[in-house]
Amino acid sequence: MVGFTRRGFLGTTAALAAPALIRPAWAADTVKLGCLFSSSGTMANLEGRLNHVVRMAADGINAKGGVNGRRIEVVTSDPASDWPLYAQIGRQMLQQEKVAALFGCWTSVSRKSVLPVVEQNDGLLFYPLHFEGDENSKNIVYANSPPASSVLPAVDYLMGAEGVGAKRFFMIGSDYVWPRTINKQLKAYWTSKGVPETAWREEYVPLGFSNFQTLVNQIRSFAAQPGGQPIVVLTVVGSSIPDFLREFANQGIRATDVPILGLDMVEADLEGLDTAPLVGHLNCWAYLQAAKAEANTRFLSEWAAYVKAKGVPFSADTVIDPMVSAYDSVQLWALAAAKAGSFDVPEVRKAFPGLSFADPSGYTLTMGSENNYVARGVFIGSVNEKQGFDILWQSPDAPKPVPFSPYG
Amino acid sequence: MVEGPGRFGLAGLLVWIASLVMQPALAAAAPLDRGAFAAALCGDGAAQTRSVESFLGIASEAESSDVAWAGTALRALLDRRLACLGETALLLDRAGAAEGVDAATGAARPAAGGRSPVLGLRQRALVETASGAAVLLTAPGVEARRTGLATLERRIAAVPEALLLRAAAAETDPGLRLSLAAVAQSAALSSADPARRLAAIRAVSEAPSGAARSRLSALKADPAYGTDPAFRATLDAALARVERAVSIGDGLAVLYNGLSFASILFMAAAGLAIIFGLMGVINLAQGEFIMIGAYATYGVQEALRRLAPAWLDSYLLVAIPVAFLASAGVGIAIEALILRHLYRRPLMSLLATWAVSLFLINGVRVAVGSQNLQFTMPSYVSGGVPLYADFVVTWNRLFAIAFAAVTLVLTLVILKRTPLGLDIRAVTQNRDMAACLGIRTRRVDRLAFGFGSGLAGLAGVALCPIYSVNPGMGANFIVDSFMVVVLGGVGTVVGTLVAALGIGGANVLIEPLYGAVAAKVIVLAGIILFLQRRPEGLFAMRRRR
Repeated sequence: MVGFTRRGFLGTTAALAAPALIRPAWAADTVKLGCLFSSSGTMANLEGRLNHVVRMAADGINAKGGVNGRRIEVVTSDPASDWPLYAQIGRQMLQQEKVAALFGCWTSVSRKSVLPVVEQNDGLLFYPLHFEGDENSKNIVYANSPPASSVLPAVDYLMGAEGVGAKRFFMIGSDYVWPRTINKQLKAYWTSKGVPETAWREEYVPLGFSNFQTLVNQIRSFAAQPGGQPIVVLTVVGSSIPDFLREFANQGIRATDVPILGLDMVEADLEGLDTAPLVGHLNCWAYLQAAKAEANTRFLSEWAAYVKAKGVPFSADTVIDPMVSAYDSVQLWALAAAKAGSFDVPEVRKAFPGLSFADPSGYTLTMGSENNYVARGVFIGSVNEKQGFDILWQSPDAPKPVPFSPYG
Repeated sequence: MVEGPGRFGLAGLLVWIASLVMQPALAAAAPLDRGAFAAALCGDGAAQTRSVESFLGIASEAESSDVAWAGTALRALLDRRLACLGETALLLDRAGAAEGVDAATGAARPAAGGRSPVLGLRQRALVETASGAAVLLTAPGVEARRTGLATLERRIAAVPEALLLRAAAAETDPGLRLSLAAVAQSAALSSADPARRLAAIRAVSEAPSGAARSRLSALKADPAYGTDPAFRATLDAALARVERAVSIGDGLAVLYNGLSFASILFMAAAGLAIIFGLMGVINLAQGEFIMIGAYATYGVQEALRRLAPAWLDSYLLVAIPVAFLASAGVGIAIEALILRHLYRRPLMSLLATWAVSLFLINGVRVAVGSQNLQFTMPSYVSGGVPLYADFVVTWNRLFAIAFAAVTLVLTLVILKRTPLGLDIRAVTQNRDMAACLGIRTRRVDRLAFGFGSGLAGLAGVALCPIYSVNPGMGANFIVDSFMVVVLGGVGTVVGTLVAALGIGGANVLIEPLYGAVAAKVIVLAGIILFLQRRPEGLFAMRRRR
C-alpha cells in the first residue's frame, strides 16, 4: 500500500475510463456537428456504425460546397454505452466545442439523459431511432417513428387475417424505459381491442442478458396453452437479440409456430447467426435494406465505397434503419440551416416546418409545424436465409406521426 | 441408387392400388392444372392460400407426378427460387439466378425482371405443410419422407385424413409406416366414430406435451364427456398421464437448464479460481482471455476453411489446444511484463489487469472490428432433440456441459497428479515455506497464471456455439465469475464447481417465479448474506500466511 490513496485511485480510474473523451476537429470557417454514439460497450456493434454514417453524410454535403458557405466538421466521441456519459459529453460538445447540432443516442435511456442538457443549452439533438414516443422537446428532432407509425401497424398486421391472427402475446424486453413503455402502450392497445389480460405475459431481463434457456422454455409452454395463435413481442436490445434468437431456434420453435416481432431487431443482429431456422420472424422499421428505390441503391453503393475507402471496421453490405435515419438527420439539418441562412438553433428550428427530403427508403420525409417529428414510411420485414430481411408489407405513404400515444 | 427408381415405381403402384381401395367411390381425380397453380403461387396472399389449400385437399388422389411437381414448385417458393413473370412462374436453380425453367411447361427462359414473392407467415405455414405432404407422398428416400411427416405433424389439424391414409398405404418402410399410423390415429380426435376417437385420445397421450395437454383438455367441453362414461374415463386417464409426463419433462428441463448455466459459470470461473487462489491477483482481464479463446476458435475455423474445407466441421475440436495455448500465451506474457512487478500490491494489480482488459478489448476492436463473428455451426452444436414431453436437449448446451466436465477432470488431474499441480498447491498453501523447500515460486506463479488463462481460453471455445462472439463478450462474465470464486472459497476447484452449480441452479429456479432481473438480485443478496456468515466461502482451503 505504498502511496496509494483514494484520490489517486479516483484519478487513475477517471484517466482510464475516459481516454480523451472527445476528439476535436479544428478548422476555421467550418461548422461543427457532434456525434454521441458509443464505440465501446454493449451498444458498440450497433451505434459504432452511426459515427461513420454521419461523417459520410457530411462528406457528401461538403463535396457539394458545404452549408451556407461553410464546411461541416464532424466531432465524434465515445460515451461507452454508459448512459450518464452521453449527457456529460453532450454538454461538453455544446459548451466547449460549440457544435451546431448533436446526432446521437440509440437507447431511450441515453436520450432521456441528454434531454435536460440540450434543453438547458438550447441545443439540437437529432435522434435516429424509433422509440416509445410520449415526449416532445423543441430541442430534439425525432427523426424516426413513434409507436403509432411503427409498432402498432406491425402488431395490427400480425393480429389481422393477412398476418397470423395473433390472439396471445409474450412480451420479453430488456429492463429499461423503452421496452416498459412500449409494452404498457401495447397492453392498453390490446385492452382497447377487447383482448383479455390473461392473453399476455410480460418478462424483463437485465441489459446484456444472454442466458435465455428458461425464458424460451416458458415461451414454449405459453405457446402450448389453448387460446389462439401466440406471438412474441421482443424488445430486448443489443447483444441479447442474437443470443435470444439462437436459443429460440435451437429449441426447435419456428416462425410458423410462434413468430417473433423483434422491435429492435436489425440486419446487424443477424450477423453471425444461421438464419435458416429463423426465416419468417418479423421486424418493423422506417427503412429496410431491401427497399426498392433509386435513392437506396445510391445509398448502398455510397456506403460500400465509404467503408472501402476509409477502412471502416463494419460490414460494407449491411445497412440498418438507424444508419439511414442518421444520414437523413444530417440532410434535414443541412436543409434547415440552408433555408434559415444561419446555424443558430432558434433560426434552424424555425426552418423545420415544410422541409422534405427523399430518403433511401423510397418515401419522402416531411416535417410539420406542430412538432419536431418526421413523417416516415412503415416497413414490416421478414427474416430470410441470407441474414437479411425481405419486405413483407409496406405502408402506401408516410403516415403523419402521432407523438403522444392515446394508449397507456 | 440402383434400386431407387424401382422402389419409386413400386411405391407408385402401391399408391395406385391404395387409391383404388381407399376411395372406390371416387372417379379418377382431375389432373392438377399446373399453369393455374403456378400462377396462383405468384398471386397475392389470398390466391396462394386458396390454391395451396385446394392442393392439400386433392393431394390424396392426384397423380403422383403432379404431386411431385407441386412439391418442387412449393419448395422453390419457400426458398425464393420461384420467379414470377406476369402470369407464369419460373423455377430457378438458386435464388437470383439469371435463367430458369417455366414451372408449367419446363421450357428454359431468362428470369430477368422476375419477382420472387415473399411469403406471409400464414402462407408460409401452409406452403410448408403442403410441401411436406408432397415430400411424404413422393420422395424416393425414407429419410426425406420422414422429414416430410415431421413437417405435417407440426400442423396436423390442416392435413386431410385421406392424405395420411394414402401415405400409409404407399409406405414401404415399416418404421415410418408405424409412425404414420400413429399420426393418423392421433389426428382423429374429432372423428365421429367413438372407437377411433378413444384410440386417438390414447395415441395423443402416447406423445405427451403441453400442446397434447391443451388438445385433450379441449375435449372436456365435448358433450360425450358428460354422457359417455368410457369416453370420460379414457380422457381423464390420458390427461392424468400427459400431466404427469409434462411435469416430469419440466423438471428435467429445470435440471438441464441449471446444469447448463452452471457449466458456463464453472468454465468462466475455473481459471480465475486458480489465479486468484494462488496469487491473490484479482484478474479483471479474465473475461478477455475468454474472448481471446473465442477469437482463436474463429481463427481456426477460417484456417480450416482455407486449408482443409473437408475438416471444417471439426473446427471446435481442433480449436481446443489452439485456444488454450493462445490464451495461456497472452496470460504468461502479461504476467511476465506487468503483474510480476505488482505481486505485493493487490490494488495496483487490480487496476493493471483492468487496463489490460481495456487494452485487449480495444486492440481486438481495432484489429478485427466490433461486429459479431460469423461461425458456421456444425450439426453437432445446432438444433436440439425433444427427449421427453416438452424437454428439449439443445446440442450447443450439451456440448458446453460435456466440455465443462472434461475441463473439470483435466484440471483436477493436473492439480492432484502432476508435479506442477503439487507445486501450485504448495505455493497456494504456504508461499514462504514452499520457497524454503526449493520450489521456484515465481516460475510456479507464471505457469499457474498461464494455466488459469488457458482455462479461460477453453471457456471461449465452449461459448462460441452459445453466445455471440465480439470484443466486449468477456465483460459479461467477469462479475459472475467472481461471485462463483468467492462463494466457492478461494483456491479450490471443487468449491468453484459447487458454487457454480448452486448459483446456476438458484438462477434457474428463481427466474420463472420472479423474473430474470429479480433472480440476479436475489442470488447476489443470498451470496452476500452467506459470506457474512462465512467469509471464507463454501470450501475454505486451510493455508498459512
